[in-house]
Amino acid sequence: MKIVVCAKLAPDASDIEVRSDGSISLERAEWRIGSFDLQAIEAAVRLRDAHGGSVTALSVGPQRINHSKLRKDLLSRGPDELVLVAEDALNGADTAVTAQVLAAAVRKIGAVDLVLTGEGSADLYFQQVGLQLGELLAVPVFNAVSKIEVSDSQVRIERSLEEETEVLELPLPAVLAVTTDIHTPRLPNMKEILLAAKKPVYEWSLADLGLENTPEPRVEAVSLRAPRPVERKRILIEGSPEEAAQSLAGYLVKEGVV
Amino acid sequence: MADDKDVWVFSEKPALQAELIAGAQQLTSHTGGQVMAVVLGARSQAEQALEQGAQRVLWLGELPSGRLVEDIVPTLAASVQDKRPFGVIIGATIRGRAVAGRLAARLGVAALADVLEFQWDDSALLARHMVFGGGAVRIDRPLAGPVIATTGQGIFEAGALQARPKGEIEPLSWVEPPWQAAVIERRSRAVSSVNLSAAKRVVCPGRGVARQEDLGLIEELAQALSAEMACTRPLAEGLGWLPRERYIGISGAMIKPDLYLGVGVSGQAQHTIGMSESRVVVAINKDRAAPLMTQSDYAVEGDLYQVVPALIRALKARKAK
Ligand SMILES: Cc1cc2nc3c(=O)[nH]c(=O)nc-3n(C[C@H](O)[C@H](O)[C@H](O)COP(=O)(O)OP(=O)(O)OC[C@H]3O[C@@H](n4cnc5c(N)ncnc54)[C@H](O)[C@@H]3O)c2cc1C
Ligand SMILES: Nc1ncnc2c1ncn2[C@@H]1O[C@H](COP(=O)(O)O)[C@@H](O)[C@H]1O
Repeated sequence: MKIVVCAKLAPDASDIEVRSDGSISLERAEWRIGSFDLQAIEAAVRLRDAHGGSVTALSVGPQRINHSKLRKDLLSRGPDELVLVAEDALNGADTAVTAQVLAAAVRKIGAVDLVLTGEGSADLYFQQVGLQLGELLAVPVFNAVSKIEVSDSQVRIERSLEEETEVLELPLPAVLAVTTDIHTPRLPNMKEILLAAKKPVYEWSLADLGLENTPEPRVEAVSLRAPRPVERKRILIEGSPEEAAQSLAGYLVKEGVV
Repeated sequence: MADDKDVWVFSEKPALQAELIAGAQQLTSHTGGQVMAVVLGARSQAEQALEQGAQRVLWLGELPSGRLVEDIVPTLAASVQDKRPFGVIIGATIRGRAVAGRLAARLGVAALADVLEFQWDDSALLARHMVFGGGAVRIDRPLAGPVIATTGQGIFEAGALQARPKGEIEPLSWVEPPWQAAVIERRSRAVSSVNLSAAKRVVCPGRGVARQEDLGLIEELAQALSAEMACTRPLAEGLGWLPRERYIGISGAMIKPDLYLGVGVSGQAQHTIGMSESRVVVAINKDRAAPLMTQSDYAVEGDLYQVVPALIRALKARKAK
């Protein structure tokens, strides 16, 4: 079974710097594998271990994603090889552009049985790219997938919807966006880390994918700012539990909420 | 070519559909078109959409058995191409997100995901949403139409129901999907569905609650306050102690109650973004430096296992008076 797992490399949100005017800077942010994409990688690797075949990790973005530390981090989590499409034209790409580039890369990888994505990317978390990718590839595509069982050319999935669990059967190839609780991602061990350095990394350009021009953006980000903080009273209540409870109950009455 | 003025809404959830209609009205007040609801369900649901304020309903009838809501994508894509609305607002449930993403790809656009507000810059539409897990607010401008957007519950306020709606119901026929998934089984998980965004008071336990059985204590507090139970994401996803529809935050419910009481909640941006517009915010936490403690009106420093029982007693004593 040939599996592709899509993982986004993005600046870490906890490194956001807020300037005094409310604008934000990501200049000093460290780039990482999206924390919700780790589950997709884990799911892909487990399926390969159970059914044989290979896992190709795929990531697209600006040039800075082509960094030895990121490459090693991805490969030490179990994929057999890595495909990177790293061009600055893809900096801040919208979901439509990203999905088109991923679709072209999946086609070039060829004979893919299953594509997995995370629940959402670390920076945007729009939960969109996997669905767009499936539709562009014109194959069955589902989100919120919390269990995957493969047999022959079929896959049985469980979807964790808001109020129900749904079990579906679909033909392969398919694109599945997995939930964050499908598996706990492994921590790479020493052996995997050493092995990672020897695994193949393919660097493809947009031209290699037959995309002579970068796909046209459909959405433009006009501003990015820190959320406006809401003014709060910030009354700290200390003391014994009884005292604190009495005091809080009094405030709640005064506020008219009880 | 039509005028590209109408705004369509689609949600498999009638309550959310009412809110989307209110959101669509904000858009048509600029575009000058009509609000139209695409309804997949019984005729009564189509009539309900008119009562909710839709000026027209595109009615598909009931979902054929063995089909999924998501199978609507080819039908929606064909109708959008044919009738050319300004845009489609889709309810941001899991199924709704799937419909929006697939529809956007078919139409060659990018969906605006989890929109919190629409704005207009002259004649250009802008959409505000959160990125970086609530750490930043981004304003996006779609560069190509039709506009496909998703919004969750609690963003737009549904209008009053109209007693004698005038709109028309126009039948829409199914376009066969190119592939189909076989439905093997459906298991309902939640005992009762909850509309958190309608709750006036909300009690929200977080990871500070050590064991699932201790949720009984938090429920008792919720009862004493006549509040609805919510939770942080890890309690619903991962631990599975509470249904997913009860968690608050960027990927969960957005609420604006009169009272939000967080018990053992640290207050990460991904969570607080869903409750920051609450009127009164209370936090109970043993760590006075926890972010929620510094972003609340009343911050009680203490062990929830001691403070909560005392608070229940205090509230009951006041009620008894
Ligand atoms: C992209 C993304 C999206 C996310 N979306 C959401 C979302 O929509 N909603 C959401 O909630 N989270 C979301 N998260 C997760 C979020 O980042 C936090 O991890 C989560 O909200 C933390 O939950 P918590 O406050 O319950 O737990 P913790 O952060 O573990 O906090 C527990 C708190 O309990 C306190 N405590 C412990 N014991 C006691 C005691 N005995 N008495 C009193 N206090 C005690 C501790 O001091 C601590 O402050 C998201 C994360 C990401 C990356
Ligand atoms: N630039 C990218 N490279 C590889 N995979 C991506 C990229 N962007 C998004 N994805 C995948 O699509 C999922 C959903 O992304 P998003 O729609 O941005 O939330 C992510 O969890 C990734 O698995």
